[in-house]
Amino acid sequence: MSDKLQETPTAAPIALAYQTNIEDTTKDKFLTFIIDDEEYGVEIAKIREIISICKITKVPESPDYVEGIINLRGDIVPVINVRRRFSKPWKEYDALTCIVVIEYNTYKIGLIVDSVNEVAYIQEENILPPPSSKINYYNQFIRNIGRVEEDVKLLLDLDRLLAN
Amino acid sequence: MQKSLEKVMTLADFDRESMLEMFSYEMAQLVEQLEQTIIQAEAGYAIEQINEIFRIMHTIKGAAAMMLFENIATSAHAIEDLFYFLREENPTDVDYSTLTDFVLEGMDFIKGELDKIEQGLPNNGDGTETNLKINAYLKQLKGIGSEPADSGGGSSSTPGFGESGDVSAGNYARYKAVVFFDIGCEMENIRAYTMLHNLGSQITRIIHTPENIIDESSIELIRANGFNFECDSKLSYDELHAQLMETIFLRELSLEVVRPAQPAAAQPTPAASPAPAPVESGVARYEAFIRFEENAEMENVRAYAFIHNLEDYSFDIVHIPTDIVSETSIEDIRSHGFRVEFSSDKSYDQIYSILKNTIYLRELSLSVVDTGVSAEPSGRIATAAYDDSVVVKATDVAAVSEPEPEPIPVSKPEPAQAPEPATTTYDQPAAAKNPADMEAKMDTALMSVGAVDQPAKKAATQSVISVSVSKLDQLLNLMGELVIAESMVTQNKDLENLELESFYKEALQLRKIISDVQDNVMSMRMIQLSATFFKMHRIVRDMCKQLNKDVELKIIGEETEVDKNIIEHIADPLMHIIRNSIDHGIELPENRAGKGKPRKGTVTLEAKNSGGDVLIIVSDDGAGLNREKIIAKARQNGLLRKHDSEYTDKEAYQFIFLPGFSTNENVTSYSGRGVGMDVVSTNLEIVGGSVIVDSIPGEGSKFTLKIPLTLAIIDGMIVKLGDAKYTIPIISIQQSFKAKQENIFTDPSGNEMIMIRGEVYNLIRLYEFFNVESATTNIEDGIIIMIENGEQTICILVDELIGQQPIVVKTLPKYFKKIRGISTCTLLGNGDISLIIDPVGFFDK
Repeated sequence: MSDKLQETPTAAPIALAYQTNIEDTTKDKFLTFIIDDEEYGVEIAKIREIISICKITKVPESPDYVEGIINLRGDIVPVINVRRRFSKPWKEYDALTCIVVIEYNTYKIGLIVDSVNEVAYIQEENILPPPSSKINYYNQFIRNIGRVEEDVKLLLDLDRLLAN
Repeated sequence: MQKSLEKVMTLADFDRESMLEMFSYEMAQLVEQLEQTIIQAEAGYAIEQINEIFRIMHTIKGAAAMMLFENIATSAHAIEDLFYFLREENPTDVDYSTLTDFVLEGMDFIKGELDKIEQGLPNNGDGTETNLKINAYLKQLKGIGSEPADSGGGSSSTPGFGESGDVSAGNYARYKAVVFFDIGCEMENIRAYTMLHNLGSQITRIIHTPENIIDESSIELIRANGFNFECDSKLSYDELHAQLMETIFLRELSLEVVRPAQPAAAQPTPAASPAPAPVESGVARYEAFIRFEENAEMENVRAYAFIHNLEDYSFDIVHIPTDIVSETSIEDIRSHGFRVEFSSDKSYDQIYSILKNTIYLRELSLSVVDTGVSAEPSGRIATAAYDDSVVVKATDVAAVSEPEPEPIPVSKPEPAQAPEPATTTYDQPAAAKNPADMEAKMDTALMSVGAVDQPAKKAATQSVISVSVSKLDQLLNLMGELVIAESMVTQNKDLENLELESFYKEALQLRKIISDVQDNVMSMRMIQLSATFFKMHRIVRDMCKQLNKDVELKIIGEETEVDKNIIEHIADPLMHIIRNSIDHGIELPENRAGKGKPRKGTVTLEAKNSGGDVLIIVSDDGAGLNREKIIAKARQNGLLRKHDSEYTDKEAYQFIFLPGFSTNENVTSYSGRGVGMDVVSTNLEIVGGSVIVDSIPGEGSKFTLKIPLTLAIIDGMIVKLGDAKYTIPIISIQQSFKAKQENIFTDPSGNEMIMIRGEVYNLIRLYEFFNVESATTNIEDGIIIMIENGEQTICILVDELIGQQPIVVKTLPKYFKKIRGISTCTLLGNGDISLIIDPVGFFDK
């Protein structure tokens, strides 16, 4: 019985340390990708993998930015075209076109982007709120603006981007 | 130390899980069986049924006590008592309906608690009220039955306590006790009740203040003045004191003797055993021989528990078989019984009555070997659990997680080894000292039982094993992968245009084996509908009672098998349909008589196979659905899309499945909220089934549920449509053919129709329906597939047929909302995704 009591405090720090470890390695890191000339960022913790463009099966009755579903090693994953989500003109897929698979609300979803750029380290103090006026349509998908030296990365609001 | 500790803990957790799983599985089965028996028995309890109920309650009690679910055990005990009385006394004028009510109430409580346990919630329900009711009823029965009333003290003896009728004063002492519970322990009245209950038949003629401990107002009184009671008992002062000290949350106990026991005049002795001269004082050597009930299982653990209990008041214990740790002893105990020799300072009667309480005991014989032995415990036995029972119970538990050598209470050859979990066990739940202790004991208990349980099962010859559903699901998933992998190999692109005669021959053999394995895997998941069907008896019974209706439930074809996943989804729909039938359909007996129908209504529940589907038909001989009322209500809710008269009866009846749709003006406890039938359609949709309603006004209604046999792997026809490949379930395809332009008609609104052999069907061009580009638009180039859903038929145009193959159904990602005509998808041999066409989508425009 007494062992059981001792058990709890010893187990807890381990679990805690493990948790913080994961957070440590992904904290403040963003995967950035490019659409047209803009660079966008998504928290790295959400990214599952990046794959090159593959065969996409169209699904009827879905919005035009939903390209369809792909077979990701047996998983059926919906993919959306971020360009089209931003109402930008369609662009042919090329060698750089990628599908960024993210995990969102327990399911996976793929984002088709022009190309993947880098993993950027943006500290909290360099993350700014977006301009309050929402002039552009795709502005609504931007949650924050991240500053890395002279560059600006638009940090995406996944909730809005993936709202169906 | 740390590492090993962790290991032990996880082991304990694991075993607790599996043990709990086993427990809830067995309980669920017992409860189900019990419910059926009770419902069947309501008309009049036959002796077999009473025996059966008694046996089930006994098993539930034993198992629950073993798992330390005390409230369940207590409830089961109350019902068991009741049926014990019925069995033994066989009273005549029992109101079976009331009896059934009580038993069902008690059982509902147990069921509720089991649900909680299954969901991982604390089983903290309080069945005291129900138990008291049952006990009171038992008392009442005894009053009207042949048994003489047991209470002599009169005024406020609590019903159900000390119900043994043998109050012949004599060797009974009268005690007076005041008990205070820990401050903040809450529910003092129930604790007081439980305390008395635990003492059971050991005390009689109880008078307690506050008198009414059922009422919550007594809580304050007990808190302020303590719980005072007087009782008669055969137990000595020390014994009673010790027993009372076991009470959970006990803070203070004062016990005094009001009147000491008088020398026995005529001592009631246990019937079957040879009664040697009782040993009044000093230490005697006893020999006990016990057998457990045949289906008790885990005899060695039970034997161990028996020894463990014995250790509290005896020493120098020797038993045969000596090794009850290994499971090999199970068979031994089963065939030869379990023999124990021990010394104790207790009297024969005392020991006999204590031993008699062993769970699952079938046979007990106790004899005195020697009336005067040394009171010194010999060194041969482990005394750890003997000297101070309270402390040791805690260390017993520690023994599992502490890898120090612990004296093992049985004469195990190698005590230096880390004690095997199986050696530690626990005694009756009432003995738990406090919640922490209890919890710790729980772990141990579960562990020990879990560890021994499996070998025990192995030892028994069993032709049925229970497998966890998750394992079956996993197997099914792997099966799906295998099916796909097989077609990926045999239809590999690299093999195209090659002459591979022997390869294809072998491949064919492979496919055959795989499909056999697949059939087997699927058949493992098939479960008879009977359990689901029989559950409905209860609903019918309860509703009849409440609504004053007289309805008989007929069950046909309950042996029909359906996939486990599907069964889970049809119990609720069935319940709602039956409720609907009884509430809305079946008329009151007097109205029925007026209409020339038999007073007793009938609801028929029928299942049968039909192709790849199972049909479940619920029909009643009630009033039928009221089309006018439904249409009126639909109009009121703004649901009508065309003129009233254009709705066929079937279409009109479909309205009742819409959420929030009820024609009942008054909300009753059964219907009127418009929730029930909505569940029917949603649940059926999940499993890909459908429901059709037929009704003849005044004669009754009929609900036909069509559900697929199985979900996961179906035969599909792959069709080409532009670049895409779609899959149509083979079971919904009636035929396919090339169409001729002259058979196509177009109505003014542009709907196309096709005439086949004198019949006209709607035609859907699938590329239009799904908005697919680059598909064949010329009707003569494509191919027409005739699809049926229920009683409707439609023709669709596709580019070409590719081929038939088994497909593994995968759900579409949650990201997609409901898509008309598409429900699921599958992976083809080459890894492409093919959407599976759901014919239902073509019909509900």
